[in-house]
Amino acid sequence: MKIGLPRGLYYYKFDTFLECFLKGLGAEVVLTPDTNKNILVGGVAACVDDACLPVKLYHGHVLYLRDKCDLIIVPRIMEMAKKEYICPKFCGLPEMLKNSIPGLPPITELPFAMHDPKRQLKWCEAAGRLAGAGGEKARRSFSLAYDAFKKTCRGVDDCTKTYKIGLLGHAYNIYDKFANMDVVKKLGELDAGVITEESIPDACKREIYKSLLIYPFWSSVKETVGAGMYLAKNHAVDGLLYLSSFQCGIDSVNVDLLKDFIGSFPMLVLKLDEHAGEAGIETRVEAFMDMIERRRANGIHLPSYGQYIYGG
Amino acid sequence: MVFTFPHMGNIYMAAKITFDGLGIRYVVPPKNAKRALEIGSRISPEEMCLPFKIMMGNFVQSIHQGADCILLVGSRGPCRFGEYSELQYRLLKKAGYDVKFVVAKFQEEEDKEMDLASLKDIVAGVQMNKGAMIGAAVRGLRSMYLVDHLERKAHANTGYERSPGESRKLYEEGVAAAFAECNAQRAFTVLKDYKRRIDAVSLDKSKRPLKVAIIGEIYTIIDPFSNLCIEDKLMDLGVSSTRKLTPSWWITDTILRFFRLNGLDVIRHSGDYLPWWIGGHARECIAEAVMADREACDGAIQIYPMGCMPEVVARSILPNVSRDLDFPIMTLVVDEMTGEAGFITRIEAFLDLLERRRNKCII
Repeated sequence: MKIGLPRGLYYYKFDTFLECFLKGLGAEVVLTPDTNKNILVGGVAACVDDACLPVKLYHGHVLYLRDKCDLIIVPRIMEMAKKEYICPKFCGLPEMLKNSIPGLPPITELPFAMHDPKRQLKWCEAAGRLAGAGGEKARRSFSLAYDAFKKTCRGVDDCTKTYKIGLLGHAYNIYDKFANMDVVKKLGELDAGVITEESIPDACKREIYKSLLIYPFWSSVKETVGAGMYLAKNHAVDGLLYLSSFQCGIDSVNVDLLKDFIGSFPMLVLKLDEHAGEAGIETRVEAFMDMIERRRANGIHLPSYGQYIYGG
Repeated sequence: MVFTFPHMGNIYMAAKITFDGLGIRYVVPPKNAKRALEIGSRISPEEMCLPFKIMMGNFVQSIHQGADCILLVGSRGPCRFGEYSELQYRLLKKAGYDVKFVVAKFQEEEDKEMDLASLKDIVAGVQMNKGAMIGAAVRGLRSMYLVDHLERKAHANTGYERSPGESRKLYEEGVAAAFAECNAQRAFTVLKDYKRRIDAVSLDKSKRPLKVAIIGEIYTIIDPFSNLCIEDKLMDLGVSSTRKLTPSWWITDTILRFFRLNGLDVIRHSGDYLPWWIGGHARECIAEAVMADREACDGAIQIYPMGCMPEVVARSILPNVSRDLDFPIMTLVVDEMTGEAGFITRIEAFLDLLERRRNKCII
């Protein structure tokens, strides 16, 4: 039994759990390689054209796995925490794949609910059944994987550089080096280290609830906008860099919420899509860092032109 | 306080009759037009969906006419509609308009409220007893059902009438006459009268016009401006059209939701393709495509605003529905850049295709 695991979307959040669980089942795991040009081309061709880049890349990863395994793990994520939802495309991901890519091997369809161990156990048992493993085995590897997941802490906090940039956005944009054209390395070359939302304590991110009108139903409002707001308000970083994919419905709200909260704090929004030229990204990142350097050298915390021009 | 609300098709009729009945001051924003969209796009995020931008235009135009409190329906589905009020409040403030929002929420009432006015504020100035107030509200809701009935009849009767265009004329006349009436009770009577007349339109059921179902995202299919008046165009071409999603459908659905009885037919018909509620009206869209096939429609047209997350999922499923049922489905995506000529060409080509399918070649 070969089990395929696509390296896309929230694989970047749940990789420890998924890998540990599948290993526990005793199956051979086929993990897709890091995103590359072929995966992108395959995904763009298979997916509907107005989906966002990460969803297209995910289609590419699944397409890569199609003839190489007997079962593909596709987490259908409906909620990230209790009553904190996520993009509808995640909820309908298995259907999108089944209907866009013909000839798929079986895929997992139950909701993947890491915030609720009971429901997650059900997912694991169902996945175990599909993989031909007994219930006992699935339960045992679930508890192992769950413990391993609880112990891991993702997140980057690079304090070795002169400047520090808060890198915001969805995990799949931040950690997929192909999608963001390795913006972390580019920043590093310009002597800037990054900090991501996972390195900021939950209590600090929760501060945002006090400023909102209604309780937000997307987890990323707290995670991403909350992190950005905390970093900007406390001047913990020199600037914010928001990686957002073109046509992302959640970011269309988040970016503007964040802009409203941080005022004139420097923020660069990079839109990622399948056509993005690397030179354009480089130019913008360099210009942004030039601005940050000058800001620090001049010792003022307001841009001389009165309003920030790098937002958008 | 002077209230206002965003446009969505004919809901302004129900709102007007309710507010007139309660004696609340309100402003009906100018009809959706290019101007509203232009104002809205200027102060909205670029990647926001079309309904958001048109609504922002409505609000600004109403504020210029004296409104200072905005009524909006909330939701907690994963579609971005639920975050509209949050962002609209902030963007309006940024643009220099300080207004209050009343967000009616029907699900999971655990929200904290801050700058939000509540339902109590709306009825604070009403000099009426409770019974009369409820009566006025119920009359408003019932008028929504009446207007939707007129609209549905006008669209469905096209092509079947003995004197073509009669239902459409009655619908347009009825809405205009009821809107001109300032007394809620009289406006309601006008609508009832027109309902009786439209039900009496003589139809020739032996005619066989093309029949098309309109499916997709609720705002863009209900609001004629956002879909470039597709239903009027279909009526011009003598095509009968049906649409399940209406404001009154939404009211019924929301009421049934309290008893967990909503969407039973949707669950039945979409089960094979999309067995989960993924937010927005994606599941309804799939179910309506299947139902349209059962109801002997010739084809379906899916309309959604650019970037609508649930409808993108539905769109990726629809080709398979179409293939399995041998049922033509066309997708039209609208945004503020949509050109009318391209739109018409595609609709006409689709209708030509449907017409030709009827005379199937047997060789």
